[in-house]
Amino acid sequence: MQINFAGREIAIKLVYYGPALSGKTTNLRSLHQLTTEQSRGRLMTLETKDDRTLFFDMLPLTLRAEGANPGTGMTLRIKIFTVPGQVLHASTRRLVLQGADGIAFIADSQVSETEHNAASFLDLRKNLTDLSLSLKSLPVVIQFNKRDLPKVRSDEEIASLASRGREPVFKAAAVNGQGVLETFFGLLQVTWSKLDGEHNLSQLLGIQSNALLPMAARQLGLKTDVATLLSACVGGVLKKEPK
Amino acid sequence: MTAQAPPSQPNVSIEDLVFDGRIRLEDLVGREGLDELCKSFVTLFGIPVRIYSSDGALLADAGAEHELCGYVNTMPDGRRACAATVGGVRSQDPGESGDVTRPCFTGAVYRVMAIEYDARRVGRLIVGPFLPSTLTEPPPTLLAVDKGVEADRAKALFAKMPRAKSDTVTRIADHLKAALDLILFSGHKAHVTSAMHLASVRESYRQLEEKTARLQEAFDRLKELDRLKSNFLATVSHELRTPLTSIIGYSEMLSEGLAGELKAEQADFVKTIHDKGEQLLSLIMGLLDLSKLESGTMRMTARGIRIDPVLAEVVSTLTPTARKKNVQLILDVGPELGEMRGDPERLRQVFLNLVENALKFTPASGSVTLSARMSDDTGDEGDESDGLSLLAPTRAKIVVRVADTGIGIPDREKTKVFDAFYQVDSSSTREYGGTGLGLSIVKRLVEAHSGTIAIEDNAPRGTVFVVSLPQAAPVDAPPVS
Repeated sequence: MQINFAGREIAIKLVYYGPALSGKTTNLRSLHQLTTEQSRGRLMTLETKDDRTLFFDMLPLTLRAEGANPGTGMTLRIKIFTVPGQVLHASTRRLVLQGADGIAFIADSQVSETEHNAASFLDLRKNLTDLSLSLKSLPVVIQFNKRDLPKVRSDEEIASLASRGREPVFKAAAVNGQGVLETFFGLLQVTWSKLDGEHNLSQLLGIQSNALLPMAARQLGLKTDVATLLSACVGGVLKKEPK
Repeated sequence: MTAQAPPSQPNVSIEDLVFDGRIRLEDLVGREGLDELCKSFVTLFGIPVRIYSSDGALLADAGAEHELCGYVNTMPDGRRACAATVGGVRSQDPGESGDVTRPCFTGAVYRVMAIEYDARRVGRLIVGPFLPSTLTEPPPTLLAVDKGVEADRAKALFAKMPRAKSDTVTRIADHLKAALDLILFSGHKAHVTSAMHLASVRESYRQLEEKTARLQEAFDRLKELDRLKSNFLATVSHELRTPLTSIIGYSEMLSEGLAGELKAEQADFVKTIHDKGEQLLSLIMGLLDLSKLESGTMRMTARGIRIDPVLAEVVSTLTPTARKKNVQLILDVGPELGEMRGDPERLRQVFLNLVENALKFTPASGSVTLSARMSDDTGDEGDESDGLSLLAPTRAKIVVRVADTGIGIPDREKTKVFDAFYQVDSSSTREYGGTGLGLSIVKRLVEAHSGTIAIEDNAPRGTVFVVSLPQAAPVDAPPVS
């Protein structure tokens, strides 16, 4: 996270991680389609000719918090990156991961991909360690993508897996846009609550702590309300109970 | 092995690569490109267009001066007023809304608009001067700007100024900004791609370097271990040789009857002890030679010698062995062989070993040929006659070939046979004896003469060992491995 007081900007970096071909770029494409032009920038994709992500994709979202007085408004920039999933791009993954504030791990629901999911998660953990970060201190949500395919883990299996883990879990078929907003808002929720707790960002933006997500939903032109989106979460802890 | 250290962190962040927050118009699009873009708009709409960077530098300027402006500028007060207006426009901030209209005393207006990229202001677009479509008469400020202004002339030129509706200009400007935004995005993407490419190459290079350093460390340790092994071998060989000399000496004395006559069977036993002792001694000498060659402590002389007597001696030494095996041993030495520098004793050892080997692996009624010729074959790639008049004298060499009609050496074994202790057939029941030291010693001795040794096939069967010895090369101490 970066705070630029002179430019009246706060920048948050979210990273979509996961094994090759699990649908990270598809998530970003769908997110791009499901939001209005007003608050999101162009989707930058750097890919090879066979549609595999070469370096990363980036989707910038720009939220505007009008301050109480003119000239006190702040801009919240949310930059969403994907990493290249292919094993050979290890160094690029580490570069992209640097400085991440929150991570959405996009897993492939197909039973045959179980090992790739696990290997990629271990790769994530190792890369974070190399960057002196840790999974303990980073907000993470998990998405089981490709629910529309045959031979995927059943909802019951995912519910039971999710109940065992710490991370909030979402189900998605990103190619149809299903679960994409839910995952993004889940990630935004856990990331915001951590960053706000540590840096008092809501005060900087001049908003209530719980007003960010509704504000984001409004500015991104969503029809669904935040509570409905977040209710799609299975397992894990989305909201910290106030102490 | 030491534990693998975690790779250090990359020294650039992706934010640096994307130059997030520091995006400058002029970094993403060339001035020529901007100029062309503006000119095409002027051609379409006839209104001048200028683009300024966020720090006020003029990046593009298209559109000719209006005749009215030229006329006003011919007069001192007019020139002053015009300069003040233009200066004001140039420093005008587009304000919160990003679109400000600024009037001129001629009645014309300028529109100053913000250029945004990624929701940040990166520059300004100035459109004008043009006349608002509602203005039909020149305003009094035009006629009053200088006492030299002639009303009729001013009126005529005023009529020639381009006119535009405010919302038309807005549409034109929006279109220009949209085109510019696309160009900026393309430029940004190209920049990010190449920056990422460089960064990941650098990152891979860094990782490779770390790996290379670890390998080098391991290699150095192995080299040190190898040196210790050679030292150990030398010491042990030396210590083995001392008691062995006594065993050979005393068994010799026994067989010569110095301690009394021996019975036939006793003499036989003692001779076996003596023979095996000699065999063991030659093995130990081989080990000693090898360790000396490896540690670089082998003493060699370098003087002018002829190779033909050396080869002749080898053949005469081994003729009895060849005859016993019923193998033909042929010596074929060219007439033109000159002198070379080398150690005749070591060269004798080389060829004795090679011919002995050849005889060992050649079946009865086969043949072993030892031949020597001069050569100035460069052995390099390309045309051999390239600059030969210059190179030939430095490349003259004596090529000695030891050809047999034996069992041959499989291709994949051809480089390994020179490794110490290596045997093509390493099974315990192998047919041919030997320690596997000979060829490795041969190779090192040849290399100590700056020569090379290679293996070729001998059609239709058998092997040729080809030893090339440079004629002029000095004899080096063998390379310290």
